[in-house]
Amino acid sequence: MVVELTINGNAYELEAPVGRTLAEVLRLDLGLTGTKIACGEGHCGACTVQLDGVPVLSCITLVHTVGDREVTTIEGLREHPLVEAFVEADATQCGFCTPGQIVTASALLAANASPSDDEIRHAMAGNLCRCGTYPKIERAIHTVAGDGGGS
Amino acid sequence: MELLRPDSAEAAAAALGNGSVALAGGTELVPLLRDGIVRAEKLVELRDVVPRGVDGTRIGAGTTLAELEVDPDIPQALREACSLAASPQLRSMSTLGGNLLQATRCWYWRLNFPCYLHGGDTCHAKAGQHREHAIFGNERCASAHPSDPAAALLALGARLRTTSREFSLVDLYRLPTDEERNVTALEPGEVILELDVPRPEASVYLKAMERRKWSFAIVGVAAARFADSIRLGLAGVAPIPWALSSVADLEQATPLLGTAYKVQIARALVRRAVEAVSAPAGA
Repeated sequence: MVVELTINGNAYELEAPVGRTLAEVLRLDLGLTGTKIACGEGHCGACTVQLDGVPVLSCITLVHTVGDREVTTIEGLREHPLVEAFVEADATQCGFCTPGQIVTASALLAANASPSDDEIRHAMAGNLCRCGTYPKIERAIHTVAGDGGGS
Repeated sequence: MELLRPDSAEAAAAALGNGSVALAGGTELVPLLRDGIVRAEKLVELRDVVPRGVDGTRIGAGTTLAELEVDPDIPQALREACSLAASPQLRSMSTLGGNLLQATRCWYWRLNFPCYLHGGDTCHAKAGQHREHAIFGNERCASAHPSDPAAALLALGARLRTTSREFSLVDLYRLPTDEERNVTALEPGEVILELDVPRPEASVYLKAMERRKWSFAIVGVAAARFADSIRLGLAGVAPIPWALSSVADLEQATPLLGTAYKVQIARALVRRAVEAVSAPAGA
């Protein structure tokens, strides 16, 4: 079955079986390997991408259900100030969850330019970090929000 | 596997059955398909044909939990239940109708043990690991129903409209029996379209979890006050969302060795929930 996608502003058309997930298409068919698959069952958030700006789990999104919603992956956020902020705050350890963290955080900041600690924790709760860098992730988000590191 | 995109809810309903399975948000179905617990020859996509959004007391079954958790016009208990459910990404994907139809988190069921719910004659949880399991209705199967919104909607007295009928949410669920292991009473080819959710004078949802975010309920308690009566709905305590007709019903619990602690938690949450929705003295 043919699927048409718009990813980071680029149009793609490819053939994919109905059970194929968006994460598989991104990584295996299109080589956009910034999106990670960790748990593969919608628990951990490593595979987070945005559909029309809303963070969703690409590992349990069937690619044929994306429809005309625009896909944004970590590759589309290379210039986002969160990338530098995560580096500055040392908010990555192993780094495997980081693409998903930044995809979710960028949607949070687009909706709420100056989130409180509680708002950050509520919005980021679906992105697990096994290394436990949560306080630094929070600081990185506050840095970009321009409030100098939170309350 | 094929994907069907019907152009109306009626067409979707007509396409279901005989190996065709309804697909809404996919957060439950996609992992179950991958694990071989649900098998489908065709998926019937509901996203464009099931109502979405809130209109007065009516809520489209296609409304996402993320939309509901920020909706000021719905009862507080439902808003809180949606906000405390799952993770942000899952709430953005999952629909209210699909949430009501989700399966248990019982690890034996999810690992495809030949358990009572899967048609066998044993509940593996009863003899095995069951600390997250049931304290009510657990004679045959000790699984716990995980839906937070269902508990809230039970307390609120919600009604469902489907492609073929209208009925009370409480009648959507039934404990599994030797004849019928499915815990939901939707007929083949029936699609939930809309809920009617009465406005209470006060309502609340309280949820005990292993951590403060992104966790299934150990016990969830919804309370809603209509005039002088308070209704209670519980999550995580029985194979189906569990309505309590009075606080005293908690004494009828039949906990397993490993779930006795849940009765104490339920007592505390019910007491707090009733306090929270009770009219101030003299009011």
